[in-house]
Amino acid sequence: MTERRIEEHPILGVQEKGKKITFTFDGKEVEGYEGEPIAAALKAAGLMVHRYTKKEHKPRGIFCAIGRCTDCVMVVDGVPNVRTCITPLKEGMDVKTQYGASDKPFDV
Amino acid sequence: MKRYDLIIVGAGPSGLSAAVEAAKRGMEVVVFDENEKPGGQLFKQIHKFFGSKEHRAKVRGFNIGKQLLEEAAEAGVKVVLNATVIGLYQDKEVVVKIGEEIHHYKGDSVIIATGAAENMVTFPGWTLPGVIGAGAAQTMMNLHGVKPGKKVLMLGSGNVGLVVSFQLMQCGCEVVALVDAATRVGGYGVHAAKVARTGVPFYLSHTIVEAEGDECVTGVTIAEVDSSFKFIPGTEKHFDVDTICLAVGLSPMSQLLKMAGAKMEDNPKRGGQVPICDEYGRTSLPGVFVAGDVSGIEEASSAMIEGRMAGIVAAEYLGYTDEDDMNRNVESLEKALDGLRQGMFAPENRGKLVEKTEEGIDVSMNLLKKGYVADDEIERYPGVTHKVGIHPVMECTQNIPCNPCQDACPKKCISIGDNITSLPIVVPESECINCGMCVASCSGQAIFLVDEDCGDGTATVTLPYEFLPLPKEGAKGIALGRNGKKVCDAEVVNVRSAKAFDKTNLLTMRVPKEYAMKARFFRATV
Repeated sequence: MTERRIEEHPILGVQEKGKKITFTFDGKEVEGYEGEPIAAALKAAGLMVHRYTKKEHKPRGIFCAIGRCTDCVMVVDGVPNVRTCITPLKEGMDVKTQYGASDKPFDV
Repeated sequence: MKRYDLIIVGAGPSGLSAAVEAAKRGMEVVVFDENEKPGGQLFKQIHKFFGSKEHRAKVRGFNIGKQLLEEAAEAGVKVVLNATVIGLYQDKEVVVKIGEEIHHYKGDSVIIATGAAENMVTFPGWTLPGVIGAGAAQTMMNLHGVKPGKKVLMLGSGNVGLVVSFQLMQCGCEVVALVDAATRVGGYGVHAAKVARTGVPFYLSHTIVEAEGDECVTGVTIAEVDSSFKFIPGTEKHFDVDTICLAVGLSPMSQLLKMAGAKMEDNPKRGGQVPICDEYGRTSLPGVFVAGDVSGIEEASSAMIEGRMAGIVAAEYLGYTDEDDMNRNVESLEKALDGLRQGMFAPENRGKLVEKTEEGIDVSMNLLKKGYVADDEIERYPGVTHKVGIHPVMECTQNIPCNPCQDACPKKCISIGDNITSLPIVVPESECINCGMCVASCSGQAIFLVDEDCGDGTATVTLPYEFLPLPKEGAKGIALGRNGKKVCDAEVVNVRSAKAFDKTNLLTMRVPKEYAMKARFFRATV
């Protein structure tokens, strides 16, 4: 799908993936594989920033990738604070950058 | 409230091992794990494990994980996933969050096998997207098939930092540098050497000054530190990277035990806050046991043994087995565990500078400072010998608990003896048949087959190769030395892949004979 995916791995071979599906990131269509973590699909699409912090508006992305650190939370299907690194991707998911705890960008 | 004979928290290597032993003895066991899949971190471990046969040495971690899951299924172990244990209360009441619901269970015995969490370090820019934990890198590349980045700087030279650096290269990332504030490489020398020979520079006594970038990482600056870990001005080095990977240690996740009132201690040799327990995992709370990293940071191989012990001890506690069975089984497990805790990297040697091997040979200081054994140091190790014709050269220079090489050779050319940490020696008068089994069996990728003089002014060097694309016979390129720098031109004359090699390809390159003992890696010229 992109050069960020591992096509073939010297030890793991070709890793099995779910069905190729489409979801939206801030309204734009992005492709991913069903069942993989939302964060993996975003990473493969080169999308690094998942949210901006409430007070200082600093960007955050994947950090631990196992659901511990909560740095990667986003607004998914209208629900804020969803840990994208452990939430499986589904067809048509509406994934949005999180600003503080909302999907509305800060007033600058 | 549902009641179980045994509730285990954590379906990683130790928790599953404990469950298997307990279930085999007739206990009704449930294992709760917060993750979507069982196996803990085993499925991210794609390297061959160390140890001996009983520790499943030379088997790759994810394959050990598969075996363990099969064993657990066979024993009838019930594993509940997406189930986060959020409380352990008096009388072993266990509170579990499953989905959006809270469930209460009662365990007549409980084993806590929650493992460990990664440590972090802070520096300006450390919160930028692109700064990730080494575990995150493993998760992305080895579970989800996504590259963590294009150009990566690794902070941390322990086994995690070394192994993950190698894995990053295996999946197609470039590792620009391996950095550690410590003065010496923390992990196994063989892990460091296999990274260094590909050309990754090691910067010991260095750490990160700053991660650069506005929206995500675009670069990083490191600098040398003095003995009090202060930056030395003028030593700054800059790298263009999109990813900074942190591998700065692990801490036991012992919160549930503390919550339950188990006696705890702060023990730096075990990695932080750990429950006080005996050698079988009995805590100060009757019927509450621990196994794996939660009681002291080690590795998956020891966690699995500790798990089995805890499972048996828990079974004895509730009368599912008698003391004789327990003692008999635990004794052999203790022996296996002891084997893994020997050598230079034994828990009691943590942080210590070991200057001589058990054989009395000086440890390579280059290995500790730069990640590779220097050409003038390599000859002093017993695995490095010279003879006419093809023969194994074992660049194994530290006493680590590992011995698959001696069983791998059908001609018994290699000997370690009964002491699992001894350096391998070449058996005098033995005859190498160039089968390559030793090269493929060495978890440290430290064995080479060398023909020092083919009679036409050239030599051949056979090396383990676990990258893609796999060079083809006839490929021209350069040979790199142990330090990852070019030593001479080279041509690939043979490539072997076999099921018995388990994905370790054997690449034979021809080099001028004066480089037979220097050329240790091949890079094709594009």
